[in-house]
Amino acid sequence: MLKVKDCHLSIAGTPLVSELSFEIDNGQVLTLMGPSGCGKSSLLNYLSGTLETGFEAKGCIELNQKRIDTLCTQNRNVGILYQTPLLFPHMTNLENLLFAIDAKQQGLTSANKKKLAMSKLAELGLETKANNLPNSLSGGQQARIALLRTLLSSPDYLLLDEPFSKLDPELRQSVRRFTLEQIQKANIPTLLVTHDEDDFTAMGGELIQMQNLSNHF
Amino acid sequence: MITLSISKFTLKLNGLATASRLITLLFILPIILGLVGTLLPAFDFLPALSHYQFSLKPWFSLFESPELWGSIKLTLLSGLLASFISFVIAFATISVFYESRWLISIRNTLAPILAIPHAAIAIGLVFILSPSGWIVRLLSPWLTDYERPPTWISVQDPYGLSLVLALVVKETPYLLFVILASLEQIKTCELIKVGTSMGYARIAVWRKVILPILYPLIRLPLLVILAFSLTVVDLSLVIGPNTPSTFAVTLFHWFNDTDLDMRFTASAGAVLLMFIILLSALCWEALYQIFVLFDRRRWCNGKRTSLLTPIFHGAAFTYLVSMLLAVLSLIVLPIWTFTHRWRFPDILPTSWSFKKIEQLAPLLFELACVSLVIAFASTLLALCISILMLEQKRTLPNSTRWFDRFIYLPIILPQVGFLFGIQVFLIWSNNSGSLLAVIGLHLLYVLPYVYLTLSGPYLAFNQSFYRQAVCLTKRPWHSFLQVKLAMLKPALFSAFALGIAVSFAQYLPTLTAGEGRINTLTTEAVALAASGERKKVGNMAMLQALFPLIIFMLAQWLPRVWTQYRLKLAKMITHK
Repeated sequence: MLKVKDCHLSIAGTPLVSELSFEIDNGQVLTLMGPSGCGKSSLLNYLSGTLETGFEAKGCIELNQKRIDTLCTQNRNVGILYQTPLLFPHMTNLENLLFAIDAKQQGLTSANKKKLAMSKLAELGLETKANNLPNSLSGGQQARIALLRTLLSSPDYLLLDEPFSKLDPELRQSVRRFTLEQIQKANIPTLLVTHDEDDFTAMGGELIQMQNLSNHF
Repeated sequence: MITLSISKFTLKLNGLATASRLITLLFILPIILGLVGTLLPAFDFLPALSHYQFSLKPWFSLFESPELWGSIKLTLLSGLLASFISFVIAFATISVFYESRWLISIRNTLAPILAIPHAAIAIGLVFILSPSGWIVRLLSPWLTDYERPPTWISVQDPYGLSLVLALVVKETPYLLFVILASLEQIKTCELIKVGTSMGYARIAVWRKVILPILYPLIRLPLLVILAFSLTVVDLSLVIGPNTPSTFAVTLFHWFNDTDLDMRFTASAGAVLLMFIILLSALCWEALYQIFVLFDRRRWCNGKRTSLLTPIFHGAAFTYLVSMLLAVLSLIVLPIWTFTHRWRFPDILPTSWSFKKIEQLAPLLFELACVSLVIAFASTLLALCISILMLEQKRTLPNSTRWFDRFIYLPIILPQVGFLFGIQVFLIWSNNSGSLLAVIGLHLLYVLPYVYLTLSGPYLAFNQSFYRQAVCLTKRPWHSFLQVKLAMLKPALFSAFALGIAVSFAQYLPTLTAGEGRINTLTTEAVALAASGERKKVGNMAMLQALFPLIIFMLAQWLPRVWTQYRLKLAKMITHK
């Protein structure tokens, strides 16, 4: 479970987020909506440990009752997905997935590691494109691989920053469904930031509607 | 009415297209003449010296020269080493300091360092690193026991290490500038977040993810640095080895030999130098591809840590040291300018004087005026040409492809050989030694930098602002000046400042076209560098560094306060 307690975010003395608290159970998705500039992305950066210099943060983040806000990104074990899939263009689709797997931590041999990555590609029906570069894939396929890559790094919680906003309306629905399936399968708490109410409807769970300088549940 | 305005518009577009074609031709012509003028004498053909038959004599003479192999070895060693070290330091510095407050400070120091001519930095470095330089003075006699300067060779050393250092000090900021600009084209912050969120150390993300994406974007600037390092003359004359010197300097001496037959050997050498550049570039690229081939397996081996982290931190620290050297070398120039007596091992002069600068004032004033006239004329011309070509490129992107292809050539080709070809043409057309010829030759080197600096912001300009202005005023020229160019002020000022800096740094083009009749601060400073007259050289180098620095600072400051001052002025006028 991911727990955020009394989160305050400000930049140069101007408050962005104040007294925000919420909990997300494993396998659940909490959706964060609000106008531009209300601090959604800053909150996401705070949760991932990538808050830019100049921001001030107070509060506490707990993951499975352990405080993690003092840890750096590298040690938080967090998965992040952005608007663009950010598949590494110099690596093949298979290499992109292999990059995420920590064989040592997961107790895998290099052969098993490859098998695991190939099985994920097979889930998408993309095993024939394993050795192709990401630019050979459609937008929807790239989004799916990006999600699988993130989940292959075995994150303890997931942060989604408008991951469906750049997809065609027809694709969006199927990628949403796929994402929810994978989140429930991984059984990890997920925070989704979006402008699209349909995302919330599709993903279920709770909604936080943020406003500039104040937050309302 | 509609037909009339359409035909007028077509006429204007045709005019722009014709002008751009003419400019392309005028730009390509000297390059071709330079190449042909070097290539023909390399095969013993130069009618001006009564050589009418092609032969391989210059090549035999070249390969019989006792200096050749030593020169080439030094050139390759210094050129490749300097380029590689600059690249490693620049990449490591960015990797370590990216997204930190330090990077802002580093970014702020780039422009001034870039603005200062190579020769000025090299002269300052000689003042610091030589056996009687600042570093030895700081450590003497309390640590070294030296009461007199030691006899070791720390500048102009036979291995070219001081030359490598000077190149690294000057080239690393340029590479940092290029890398920072390229990182804006890729989603660097997000890529780092994705990598680190998977548990990878930052340096591991930079090496496995960012470097392979970044390298294709900085390939050309890297090759420009490589070509420059292999062919630089002024810097090598000041701080490089003498016996033998680098190949470019050897060629420079041969071209200026009183024995005119040496020009044929020098031309063959210039062609050989071009092959050396080509070969070095191919080797560089091949080595990178081999590195990628072996490194590819490590990209996805899952190892989150990087053994290179301490090396990256060490290289980043080296950058800070190199910047300290650059700053010290700039501080020492004015000190020598006002020195009356400065005995070893005193850290600072024991007596100061304005005498030297008073004595030199008329000469310095004349040199400064000539340098400024050449720099302003060539840069303003380059700006006008760049705007015209970019306007044409915006209208018809394919129409400037020849210009875009040839624009890099003057920067990549070795100046020493290519300019001799142009000199032959200048003598033939009776233009050698004229101010116009010097401005023309400076333009050849200023234009690529101005065009490349301006092209990004110019082509990214939202044309709707201009269209809106034309709709409102019905005056296209007025709208172009008052809206488009006014909005592009920061980019125009930056390009202008860079153009001035490039022009101030030109040594060989001024010598070639000016034939010794037109001297600038740079030609005098380089010529005097070896004379040992530190006070005189300090004066020249200080002014050589000062003007581009002032113009760079003005270029950064003016666009910020322009509108503010303009509004204040308007208010004052209204009140009156």
